[in-house]
Amino acid sequence: MSAYGEFTTVMSEERYLVEGLTAMGYRVEVHADGAALVGYHGDERPETAHVIIRRAQLDSASNDIGFVRGKDGRYQAILSEYDRSIGYGNQWLGKVHQHYKESQTLAVAKSKGYIFRGKEVIQTANGPQIRLQFVAR
Amino acid sequence: MQQKTITVVIDQNGDSSMDLEGFAGEGCDKVLKDFQGDDHAKVQRKKAAFYSPAVDSRNQHLKSGQ
Repeated sequence: MSAYGEFTTVMSEERYLVEGLTAMGYRVEVHADGAALVGYHGDERPETAHVIIRRAQLDSASNDIGFVRGKDGRYQAILSEYDRSIGYGNQWLGKVHQHYKESQTLAVAKSKGYIFRGKEVIQTANGPQIRLQFVAR
Repeated sequence: MQQKTITVVIDQNGDSSMDLEGFAGEGCDKVLKDFQGDDHAKVQRKKAAFYSPAVDSRNQHLKSGQ
């Protein structure tokens, strides 16, 4: 081994966020200027987001889940307390980041000419890890 | 010549680690940068092979008379 690095994933590219959420089975809406989130009563909420999972795909009492792009270019999730309590909390957000990073890694590797050698999902006590291997030309 | 492999492991929180094997010199930094994107680096270290001169396989063949 000639180098080793550890990184905290920063979600800053819409494309990979959309791909990641789609890989998780959601149909997402993308709004360049943001759109209002809808609450569980069908009421329009004051919060807006650029990437939205509509509540119909979630629990019957859920609100929309949104991802808003901040001034720093990073996407932040907008999640209600209720939705956090029913399984859309930090663990779910971790999964979103995991899928985002997988999409980003595969796309970067392809664009830079690295050769994809395989994907492995490793089950650990803390949850599944994704292992991707590439070869440089 | 040793194959240059890149292994990326993405944990359940979406954080990643990257192992580079077979690279020497500044090639390592380029590969790390390529995959890092906008991510924040928590740990980065070079291994012994980084400081070894890159081996030219054609040279090796000539020296061994192949």
